[in-house]
This record gives sequence, C-alpha cells and structure tokens, in this order.
Amino acid sequence: MCETNQETIPIKDAIGTILGHDITEVNTSTGFKGCRFRRGHVIREEDVPRFLELGKENIYVLRIEDDQMHEDDAAHVLAGAIAGANTHFVPEPREGKLTINASIAGLLKVNVEALECFNSVCAVMCATRHTNTVVQAGDALAGTRAIPLVVDREPVQEAAAIAREAGAIVSVTPFRQASVALVITGNEVYTGRIEDAFEPVIREKVSTMGSSVDLVIKSPDNEQAIVAAVRRARREGSDMIIMTGGMSVDPDDITPLAARAAGARIEAYGSAVLPGAMFMVGYFDDGVPVLGVPACGIHHPRTIFDLILPRVLTGETITNKDIARLGHGGMCLDCPECRYPVCPFGKGN
Amino acid sequence: MKTLEEHLAESAAFHGGDCPGQTLGVRLARAGLESIGIDDPLSDHWRKQLMVYVEIDRCAADSVMVVTGCRVGKRTLKIIDNGIIAATFINLENGKAMRIIAREEARELAGKYAPDVKDKYERQRRAYSVMPNEELFDIEEVIVDVPPEDMPGSPLSRVHCTRCGDSIVDMREVHINGTLLCRNCAHDVYFKLIKKPEAVHGGKQG
Repeated sequence: MCETNQETIPIKDAIGTILGHDITEVNTSTGFKGCRFRRGHVIREEDVPRFLELGKENIYVLRIEDDQMHEDDAAHVLAGAIAGANTHFVPEPREGKLTINASIAGLLKVNVEALECFNSVCAVMCATRHTNTVVQAGDALAGTRAIPLVVDREPVQEAAAIAREAGAIVSVTPFRQASVALVITGNEVYTGRIEDAFEPVIREKVSTMGSSVDLVIKSPDNEQAIVAAVRRARREGSDMIIMTGGMSVDPDDITPLAARAAGARIEAYGSAVLPGAMFMVGYFDDGVPVLGVPACGIHHPRTIFDLILPRVLTGETITNKDIARLGHGGMCLDCPECRYPVCPFGKGN
Repeated sequence: MKTLEEHLAESAAFHGGDCPGQTLGVRLARAGLESIGIDDPLSDHWRKQLMVYVEIDRCAADSVMVVTGCRVGKRTLKIIDNGIIAATFINLENGKAMRIIAREEARELAGKYAPDVKDKYERQRRAYSVMPNEELFDIEEVIVDVPPEDMPGSPLSRVHCTRCGDSIVDMREVHINGTLLCRNCAHDVYFKLIKKPEAVHGGKQG
C-alpha cells in the first residue's frame, strides 16, 4: 500500500514551517468556499487563530524525501501523460487536482483500457467523461491527482508510463467538414403526397457538426432509381451519403439492397440501439461512408444516428463490432424532456 | 455504323422527303453517337443503353430517331421542345452525355462547300453532308440525371385521378391540398371538353 509521509504537528508549534497542502474554508454565513491557505505558505503567528477557527489544530508539514513527490508535482506528471491531442491543462493544481480541457471542438476519445490500467495503480487516479462524447473547446474532459499529499515517485511514474505508452488517455479528434449527400427515398415523398420530414432534421444535425448537406436527391421506392441516386451522389463527389426511408422490413423497403447494388459494402444493417434498430452503415471502396437512417430519426430527438454521425465525421471507420457494442447503454428512456448527451444513452462503451 | 448515305436515304424515307434539316439531323445524330462511343445503336446491347433528348420537334428530330433507333414509345427519346437544333446523347452504361448543338454559322458556310448550287436549301443540304463536324456543331459534355419515372422499363406507379378517374402511370399525378389529381384536372388543359362520354360498364372510375 502507498502511505502518506508527512509529519503532523500542532498549529501552535508550526510557526515558520511550510504548509504542505491547501486549506479549504467553507463559510456558510458569507457563502465563501475556497482555498484560504495554499501549499507553500509560511505559517505566521497571526495565522494561528485563523487555522483554529477553521478547526485545524494540527496540520501536515511536508517532509518530502528524494523518492517522493508533492501531490501538485505528481498531478503535473500525471496530467502531462494523460493529456493527448487537442487538449490542455492549466498547470495550477487546485487542491492537488488538475483538470484537462478540450482545446478544440470535436469528439472526446478516451482510451478506456489504458484508463483502467492507470487507475489500477494505487495512489493515483484519473476520472474522465465518456469516450465518444461531443465536446466544445474549453470543456472539461478529465481530472487527475495523486491520492496522498506526498506520494512515492514510483507509482506516479508507473501510471504516467501507462498513459504515455497508450499515446495519452484523453484526446479530442476534430470533425472533418464533409460535403454530405442526402438520398430521400419513398414514393409518398417523391410524388409530393406528403412533405419530407427528414431533410430539416438531418441538415440540422449535420451542420451542428460543422459539415453541410450539399446535395439532396429524392427517389421513388425503386431499386434502380435509388441506385441511380446514390451513383449521382458518388459522381458529384460527396464525402458521405445519408439515406432515409425504406429502412424497415416492408416490401417497399429496399434502401439497403439499393445501397449494396450501388457498390457499398454494408458493414451493419440492424443495430443494438433503441431507437435505431433498422440503422445501416456501409462503406464504398474509397472509404466514403453511407448511413441509412430509419424513420425513428424523424420522431425521436436522439437515435443511433446521433451516436454514429460524430464518429463517422472524425473519419473513424465504424465496424459491425462497434455497432454491437452500442447495445450496452443503447436504450433511450424517452424522457419527457430530452437531456442528451447528459444521459446514459450511448454511454455503455 | 451505317454509312452516311444509308442514313440519309432511310431518313428521307421515314420523314417523307429530303431537306437540309434532315441532313443536319443525320449528321448531328452520327456525331452524337460517336461522341459517347456507340457505334451500333440498333444492336441488342445498345438499344437499351442509349437515350436522346432532342430539343426541337422539326425535321431533325425524325433523323435522330432513324439514326439512333430511339423512340418515344420506348422511352429512349425525349422531346424537349426548346426550338433549338440540338440533342443530348446519353450512354446509360457509363453515364457519359454529350450535347450537340447545330452552329448558326453553318448556314452561311454552306456556300463554301456547294458554291455551284443555286437553290439555297439544296446548297445547304449538300453542304451539310460534307462539312466537318467542327464547322457544323458545337459539342459539350454534360450531366443528365434522368428522373427515375422517365426511364425505360415497367411503370413505376399506377394511380387514379380522384376527380376524373383517369389512370395515371409513372408518377405524373399531382397532389393539391392532399388531393391526388391528374395534370388535366389540376392545371389548365390543352383541350376543351365538348361532350362527356356516356358511362359504360367497366369505364372510368369516380
């Protein structure tokens, strides 16, 4: 076990010594909560009554041996190893803790396996937000610290080495600016019998990620026609093709068939997410992704489309295993007021 | 491909006589086929993989039909009557589409190629058969996205007008305030009805 290694002395005997840790004050009458004395403070005679008012009759005075570190120094080492691409931290630990923030908007990627190994080392910790969360510049991503005030160098270095070998633990992948083609299938929309409801939804979600829907093709429920629409999107150089309608099991639902006939390799049709069981993801030979969005994409505020679109826009190639993994945590609770992404939906991996 | 003379003769027979417009149409169709890499348009392979949009409904249109084998009834020939002697030839196999436009200057150049012919139309007819493509036509590569309901093959849909009962195929219906109508009922029609037919068993619905 790791043990703290500092000397406890009465505050009345501490004048002239160096305070080894921050002292927090919580004053309910003034509403103040914060740091009253910081680590490194040389304790003066006039400080003694203040310490006593805060209930600190004894304090830690640090004695740091050569093979030990102060918690602030440990936090620097740990944060430096954890923080990956497009992240930063302000090197001023607060009560021993450093917070790593996003430097850009993008998708948070957490090496969950490495994180678990890191946290298996005693005397250090790192807590992160969920991997694959969409974040904005400045958002907090992770916090890290050593557990004791004075920590042995060895576990700190061991944990830092784990993070470094993993190529950092948290990073933010930027979204590419994709030119998206939307292929809307359905006789009822094509003939104008009903107004399409997909386009505004898809447009909004795509533009939120910094991309744009630049081509919209409507097609009747006819395989040749849908194939022609997809080929046109390919010919016009779209970076991604999103198909709506015809994703279910009725006789008219031929969108996945048509996507395949147009040359796509279907990686997954059917997903372990509710809503979104009829979702499809595939790729063309040149890596252009094609996503099939079922009708739930209109009626539900958040579906599997919201889980997969950001990942695809970072350039990640979605595999059948990725889709399968979404099953854990893939059930939306249909809350009266949707609070996604601050909810369990899609957070199981 | 057949010879120019063969095409000219077939076109004259189909159209019912010689004229400069036909000669121009034959040349235009031959240039169009060449530009999209189709040498034998009447073969089993190509007759289903070739489509032409003709932009005029005069003599040249008949010549294009003869040379290409494309027909309105086969849905391989579309008349977009823009009043321009031009046509777009589409190789449906690879999507390549070329638009061939008759150059206005060719009319004046006819004198250079048949100076001894006094009759203006005969002069043009003869000249158009020998002038090089570069002087006869402007040629541009284009993209044509043929709507699915305009493609050859079985009708994509069949519905009935809720007002007159006429059967409508290939999604030519319109929806007005949620009501499905044929174009005649929805818009101004090109005819004026004199007398309604008497209702017979098995006749129109509605």
